[in-house]
Amino acid sequence: MKPQSAFEREPARRVFASELRETRYQFKDGDDEKSPTYVILPTGIRSNRIFIVGTLTEKERRGDQNIFYRGRVADPTGTFFVMAGSYQPEAMQQLARIEPPAFVAVVGKPSLYTTPDGNCLVSVRVESIAVVDRETRDLWVLDTARETLDRLDAFGTTDDSRKAQEEYGTQPDLYKKIVYDALTQVQL
Amino acid sequence: MNLSEVTERISRKLEAKGAQPDRQKIESRLSRLVEEFGVNLDEAERTVTADLAREHNVTGVGGSSTEIRPIHEIVPGEWVTIEGKIVALTPPVSPSIAQTGIIADSSGAMRFVTWARANAPTMEYGHWYRLESAVVDEYKGAPNLKIHSGTTIAQMEKDAPLLPSITPIAELKPGVGSVRAKFIQEWEASHDRMLQTGLLGDETGTIKFVIWKEEGEGKEKLDLDAVYNIFYATVDEYNGRLSLALNTAMYITDEGDIEVGRTETEIRGALVHVAPGSGLIKRCPVEGCNRTLSRQNYCPVHEIQPEFRYDLRIKAVLDDGIRARNVLMQREVVEALTGITLDEAVSIAETNPLGMDEIFYRIRNTVLGRYYTCSGNEFGGRLLVNSCTPIVFQPEELASLLNRAGGEPA
Repeated sequence: MKPQSAFEREPARRVFASELRETRYQFKDGDDEKSPTYVILPTGIRSNRIFIVGTLTEKERRGDQNIFYRGRVADPTGTFFVMAGSYQPEAMQQLARIEPPAFVAVVGKPSLYTTPDGNCLVSVRVESIAVVDRETRDLWVLDTARETLDRLDAFGTTDDSRKAQEEYGTQPDLYKKIVYDALTQVQL
Repeated sequence: MNLSEVTERISRKLEAKGAQPDRQKIESRLSRLVEEFGVNLDEAERTVTADLAREHNVTGVGGSSTEIRPIHEIVPGEWVTIEGKIVALTPPVSPSIAQTGIIADSSGAMRFVTWARANAPTMEYGHWYRLESAVVDEYKGAPNLKIHSGTTIAQMEKDAPLLPSITPIAELKPGVGSVRAKFIQEWEASHDRMLQTGLLGDETGTIKFVIWKEEGEGKEKLDLDAVYNIFYATVDEYNGRLSLALNTAMYITDEGDIEVGRTETEIRGALVHVAPGSGLIKRCPVEGCNRTLSRQNYCPVHEIQPEFRYDLRIKAVLDDGIRARNVLMQREVVEALTGITLDEAVSIAETNPLGMDEIFYRIRNTVLGRYYTCSGNEFGGRLLVNSCTPIVFQPEELASLLNRAGGEPA
């Protein structure tokens, strides 16, 4: 008998913008139509949900029939591209109400797009977004730094990280540097 | 059960006594009894075991065993002879069962079942019996003594006082257990047949208990905050969680108090989702119901209830990046966390065009995306939060992470 708690919500991984930007590899876990889609992050973990906190610097409304909002969220290492369309009406309305610049917390799904000229883009489909304060942003940088370092410590010992090595040829020292630089931007 | 399983069991029993039985022979004898002579498998097993034990000249095996075993040493799969006292009788759940209950000796206690087709004499509560050739199997994860047609039952003249040994709550296992515990929380009965339910605790932890309603006089309710000696409760396991049913138990209040060891879970993380049903809600006013009403004041059991009462709660997900967990915050915690009291929430909802949704949005915007430490008790895959505090920035953590990231030159 399967226990009732068999369903486990996917955790929201913590990832810096410069790592997410490098993400290229996406796969489906299972053959079912509803099987979850994951990306493999370069530091070696699968993810189908992420949690980011940064500064919403820009937002714009796009589309005529199918309205959607696009926004840019900056963290100490780069920029996340977030979007919320009519399939996420709550998220879209939340995003519509926020005036940049503002600190925001975003929970969403990473997805990969290939542009017509062959570039690969990573964007975040927003599940929910809320305005937060500077302290939450700083806590997130610490949190993301810790989890990134934890992944680097385990690099090479897990299946996901071996896959990452194969796909990206990840250099752990490079990511350590990114973490260090991100931390130095947190003001005491 | 099939022949090869039984064969395996018989040969293991004999091997344990130093004999080297021929498995083929065991199986052919079993199948002869079962298939040619229509003997039921239990009886066939007993017969073959006894025959082989004689042939191999070993004693203390299966049917021929007359060695009395202490109850707490018995494991599933054994044929045993025990002497014990009937300390509880429970109503049989099926017509194929003549009697069920609990038999105990000074070492422990075990549930037993007497099959109707065993034609066994009825055992009486409070008397001692000697049971020869009973078989122990496993039922719902707990050892269970089966009395079948091959079991000999003899009432004994003994009336030794029996003092059950108390088990700490943290060490209870499915089966039968006796505890000394304090009644620390009473819960609303979730079922018509329930007389009382709640939480018992001792120094080592807490456990849910249930007293079911019975025909006739029935059991007595427990008094909140009193300490009880509870003898021979039934320990059940459901979804990996243990609970105590007190219907088989004898309980008496005890002097003194217990410092209950709270098995509180503490989790830290970001609040990544506020679920629908959070915020200001309406509850059914019918006593013992307390269900959440729909927007139209409809209770799934008691239908339209215009005299509802308001409540505040948050159903959310706290996520540490490794695991996402459901948390449930009750009114006091929500008020402290959001700074909105229930009364304020009601007056906002009554004067705002968005009504109760306004409270949901305000609460969501206050807590979503923030970092919290929640502690509480886990039930059914959800943390019932007793306290929730925002995580504050610790400069020393920044320092230690900087060391970790820059410790080795890149």
